[in-house]
Amino acid sequence: MDDLLPATTLDAPGPPAQAGPARLRTAPLFRHSRLNRLADRGTRFVLLACTLLVVGLIGGILYFLAIRGAAAFIPMAGNTDKVATFRQVFLSTNWDPGDGHFGILPFVAGTFAVTGLALLIAAPTGVLAGVFIAKVAPPWMRTLMRQVMDLLVGIPSVVYGIFGLTVILPLVGHAWLADAPAAGFGVSAAILAVMIVPTIVSLATDAFESLPASLDEGSQALGSTRWQSIWRVLIPAARPRLLTACVLGLGRAIGEAMAVQMVIGNNPQWILLMRQATDQTPVLRFLFTPAATLTTELVQELPNTAAGSTWNNVLFAMGLLLYLITMLLILATRRLGRQEHA
Amino acid sequence: MKIRTLALAALAALALVPASAQTVTVMGSTALGPLVKQAAENYMKSHPGVQIAVSGGGSMTGLNQVVSGGCTIGISDVFATPAQDRTGIVNHNLVIEPFTLIANPRVGVSSLTPQQAEDIWTGKINNWNQVGGANLRIIRINRPTSSGTRAVLQHTVAHDKPFSDNQLIQDASGTVAKMVASTPGAISFIELEFLDLYKGRIRGIAYNGAVCDKQGVGSGKYTLISFGHAYTNPGKTNPAALRVANDFLNYMLSPQFQSTVVLKAGYMPVSYVEHLKARL
Repeated sequence: MDDLLPATTLDAPGPPAQAGPARLRTAPLFRHSRLNRLADRGTRFVLLACTLLVVGLIGGILYFLAIRGAAAFIPMAGNTDKVATFRQVFLSTNWDPGDGHFGILPFVAGTFAVTGLALLIAAPTGVLAGVFIAKVAPPWMRTLMRQVMDLLVGIPSVVYGIFGLTVILPLVGHAWLADAPAAGFGVSAAILAVMIVPTIVSLATDAFESLPASLDEGSQALGSTRWQSIWRVLIPAARPRLLTACVLGLGRAIGEAMAVQMVIGNNPQWILLMRQATDQTPVLRFLFTPAATLTTELVQELPNTAAGSTWNNVLFAMGLLLYLITMLLILATRRLGRQEHA
Repeated sequence: MKIRTLALAALAALALVPASAQTVTVMGSTALGPLVKQAAENYMKSHPGVQIAVSGGGSMTGLNQVVSGGCTIGISDVFATPAQDRTGIVNHNLVIEPFTLIANPRVGVSSLTPQQAEDIWTGKINNWNQVGGANLRIIRINRPTSSGTRAVLQHTVAHDKPFSDNQLIQDASGTVAKMVASTPGAISFIELEFLDLYKGRIRGIAYNGAVCDKQGVGSGKYTLISFGHAYTNPGKTNPAALRVANDFLNYMLSPQFQSTVVLKAGYMPVSYVEHLKARL
């Protein structure tokens, strides 16, 4: 058992008079024995198996979604209804599954509307808070704020949802809408923003802390105000990493279902409703008309639809679409990361 | 020698147990789950050697699983779809699930005629003062299109006319109750048991002059009900398990079980609506 501890080997008298790094390279970390070699191979096998398991799971999920989603368009064994066409699904705003209309555009548009709005709130807030924590705040506050942000990331989304449902919705409705419910993009985006701000703040803080101090000092030495130095020097210098932070936040927002479905109102006919509600200003109409997104519709309908029905298959196609959107975002993050190193 | 005999005995015992114990798996409706679990416990006590495992997943999961042979009994709050019916599954109506119209207490209305209720849900009436209540906009909180309760409401209350598009949608009963409690002017519908859970914060609305209770349902005057179903699949179940499953379902349908446990769980005995069966 002893020979598994590298420290003992490092301290053991090896070939003398060698310089540090070279000695480390030549000195055996573990005493070679048959058992150790076996353990070595075993470890490799376990690590490989774990990796394959993860890759297999991801691939399996993609395969499952693709097959079930494809069954919406291609007649397959297990299908119980007529299939839909691509046009009917991806280019139509008419969602009325009971009548054979499967247009998913309202959900796609809803997803982009609510996440875009959330990012619009969260990105500036998060980046500026990041500057504050990294460059302005005193050290004790920096430590405290970092811990608070980590805590906030860990709050389950359903908690945000219940808070929104029981506190924010009635409050906003009472204040601005004559007690009508405030469900819609506005409150959903606000809650999503609160959920992704900690992610953006954490990553933005990292980004600013990794900048050389000379940048800030140089710009201040040249006589720029604090704001000028933040706006003209620090933010441009950290830009690639800040963008990565925002895209990661966006990724979290797009996949969020629980909190959003509690406060968004889940109405697939929101485009129609927004056109009809002429008694309010366009902005209020956009913010407070009950709407739906890809995730909320999946949560609401998937458990209630029969396997093999076109309805169910179209929902899987929606899941696949969501998967692909998230994947694209992750790829975008990686690209941004590479830009930074270039 | 001794060890060998013991091992052999243990093996024999292991081989014997599965042979004599009959396992029945039940899957589906989370609403019906607790009732079926209670029934399973009672039944296993009087039938040693029978194992009944109850798990959730939702009504459609139960139906999908019983169609594919993944469970012995699929429990569901909704009837099977025509496509599922064609696979040869057999329906047993276990209990009546009454549900009631509910509203926020501030609406000032405690009873609706069938015509008023229809006009509210189809969007003809949009303010509570049109049905004798407060001057409040009516906020409809409906279930998702795929919901079985929504289908019952559409049939019985809206008389198969389309719902108004101007509505909020929420699937989970608890969330529906919370939304109604916090939204002035809200109307929705909910399983009877939730009315008690949110007493004072939401108000039950009488329909057709009848309140949703034992008497209303029993007299046939109260019509907003659906059935709790149990489906079996004789084509995909081994005969022994099917026999036990059917015997178990018969136990749940026995007057003794229906008049005690069923009532206590917030459901009503199927016998209450024998006279309605032709209509539903």
